[in-house]
Amino acid sequence: MLRETTGIFQSMSASSSNTFSELYAAYGAGCLDPAFTLMVGTQSALRPEIREAVALSEVISGSILETAPEAKLTDGALDRALAAIDMLDADERSSVNAGRAAGEAMEEMLALPEPLRTAALDAVGKTGWQAMGRGLKRLNLNAGSRLETELYRIAPGARIPRHTHAGSEYTLVVAGGFSDERGSYGPGDVVINGADDYHQPVGDEGEVCYALAVRDGGLHFTGMMGFIQRIFGAR
Amino acid sequence: MVALPGDQAQSAALQTGKARRVYDKTVRTADPVQRERHADCMAAISNERSRPAFSELFDFYAPRIKSYMLRLGASDGEAEELAQDVMITVWQKAGMYDRKQASVSTWMFRIARNRRIDAQRRQRRPELTADDPMLRPPEIEQPETLMARGQLEGIVRSELVKLPADQLLLLQAAFYDGLSHSEIARAFNLPLGTVKSRIRLAFLRLRGELEGAT
Repeated sequence: MLRETTGIFQSMSASSSNTFSELYAAYGAGCLDPAFTLMVGTQSALRPEIREAVALSEVISGSILETAPEAKLTDGALDRALAAIDMLDADERSSVNAGRAAGEAMEEMLALPEPLRTAALDAVGKTGWQAMGRGLKRLNLNAGSRLETELYRIAPGARIPRHTHAGSEYTLVVAGGFSDERGSYGPGDVVINGADDYHQPVGDEGEVCYALAVRDGGLHFTGMMGFIQRIFGAR
Repeated sequence: MVALPGDQAQSAALQTGKARRVYDKTVRTADPVQRERHADCMAAISNERSRPAFSELFDFYAPRIKSYMLRLGASDGEAEELAQDVMITVWQKAGMYDRKQASVSTWMFRIARNRRIDAQRRQRRPELTADDPMLRPPEIEQPETLMARGQLEGIVRSELVKLPADQLLLLQAAFYDGLSHSEIARAFNLPLGTVKSRIRLAFLRLRGELEGAT
């Protein structure tokens, strides 16, 4: 489909009233060899009269396209095109939403108080958030302790599955709040649950809740208990 | 242009590669009202993501783009896929269309031409999947200084409908089919010098430089 182009080079240097040549027609029609296409494209960037010659050739081609005969399309051609653009739009929406959600999540993390913020950002880079169900995510902070240290993100209304603990669990509310059978907790509150406590926390309406949990996972906080109770006060 | 049985004697048929091109003497005039309407459709797609506007353009252009692809040697399946591809590209790039710079058909032609170049390149070099804009003409106009593009469109279209049929056919061979002058001379059984001077004459008329000349 590529054109033989020898012998029409003289027109490359033509100027003013007669800049037209076969070369520009073939370029405009898309039938020129790629090497010459590159050359004419570059030339037209340098010379306005070449751009005009090419533009004129494209207007002629466009007019001919308008009056071209119609080839029969396969059945349902328009429906297939509509389905394709629906899919494109859905992709666009979901990537916009994903980008927006990622931006919001990052803003929330940046609002966490230090030193939790640095620990959380490090952990996002290393292991990332782990989804635990609707509206609930967990980030392992790997604090360099034998104790499990995790940051929870609880969306408003999200329900944490009813659970007990092998050992004890200390939960500091960092942002937002959650409620369980025994009460509501806000930023700065520490909730202590022992091995025998059942509870089912729900994220409070309004702000997203961030909570830092430290768990002994079977090890008991023996000896540390008094220290923590002195600082926060037991509930 | 489809040759009717009675036109066969008057038409010059030409075989180049797989493509069979038929030139007949039918001259159709494009409708300026329709052209404005198509530009409105582009605005509706760009501003409101209008499906009805897209459907209207599809109904008009997809069968014509398919016939353009067939004319240049694509198989029926390839031509159909390319037509789909072009129309979906139109949906995606509608925001870049500027009705002051070009008519919808000119813009559509550029996209169709470039999709075909991309498809051919993929066929020859399958490992090249990314579009390479260096090796094809641009789809979007650079801002112009010499002559306002809208003005150019106006002159070309008003002159095009006044062109004698034989000149129009030569233009079609040169600008739509991309044939060289010597290929055109063979196809139309004309001396090369006659082809060159007729195309040059037609071209100057379309630029508005030969008012009323024949």
